[in-house]
Amino acid sequence: MPAGDRWRRRDSGPVVRPYAVTGGRTEPVDGAVLDLIAVVVATGRGTKADESAKLTPEHRRILDLCKRQVTVADIAAETALPVGVVRVLLADLMAQHAVTVVRQRPAAQRTSNDVLQEILNGLRAL
Amino acid sequence: MGSARYDEGPPLAAHKILIAGGFGAGKTTLVGAISEVRPLRTEEMLTTASVGLDDLSGVSGKTTTTVALDFGRITFGTNIVLYLFGLPGQERFSFMWDELSYGALGAVILADVRRLSDCFPSVNYFEKRRLPFVVAVNCFDNAPRYDPQEVRLALDLDPGVPLVLCDAREVSSVKQVLITLVEAIAASRSSRSRTRRTTVTPRM
Repeated sequence: MPAGDRWRRRDSGPVVRPYAVTGGRTEPVDGAVLDLIAVVVATGRGTKADESAKLTPEHRRILDLCKRQVTVADIAAETALPVGVVRVLLADLMAQHAVTVVRQRPAAQRTSNDVLQEILNGLRAL
Repeated sequence: MGSARYDEGPPLAAHKILIAGGFGAGKTTLVGAISEVRPLRTEEMLTTASVGLDDLSGVSGKTTTTVALDFGRITFGTNIVLYLFGLPGQERFSFMWDELSYGALGAVILADVRRLSDCFPSVNYFEKRRLPFVVAVNCFDNAPRYDPQEVRLALDLDPGVPLVLCDAREVSSVKQVLITLVEAIAASRSSRSRTRRTTVTPRM
């Protein structure tokens, strides 16, 4: 797929039908749905050579973004892929142990008062 | 693939706050005013099983809808990231609200006094879900001014729900809205835990 912003204009819509990059799959391999702000990261273990050959450019791009801890929403925005597609591709990478979930559920219920205080301080300092 | 390296930093804690309100109430403007990056947009692809006679055909009847999601991000310190998600305002996307509000810290409902009824679905929704929220009246230049108390009455707000006036274009104003919300979240926590202590584990 040609790279460059001119192919990713917001208004022009996707060049490739969204689920073409997942081979038509709409469900993640493990059936688990990652939250929009689930945090993922590359394990650094890489993928086995034969599995690596099966990775699409989109898989590789996501793996690259996962060098740092990153959320599903950020990956979707960076790659300009729909969230549903990102979930499928991430599940592939997780099945190969190339990517792991740092935090699956948003932590609202467990958010400590310390964290709220830190957010408050941060907001006040903006 | 050997180049991918595990990020050894402290686990990133991502939190989300929802920005609700009617179409044109200024949700994306508000997110853009305070986000450290320009508002990001992604498409959430939703698959909903169709109901009705389709099921008899043996083909699982599914329709997909694409909804644009705008969101912004603010990072605090090394590992806390606050996401602001604009809730799709249209009634037909309300089924998305459950997913988006799952695990959210709280919500801001942006109100336009010229179309106050646009807020009713959000107020009802967050009240029902017991998600802390604030109502921020976006003061459009050409909109009539109302006494906040009148707006509060019109929306039939609970006394505990903060109502603030804001300018969604101004970072200082948006900042104040978010501070009010986080304070309300903290207050709801402490009142809830007080209730729990007295009702569940009475002290001897």
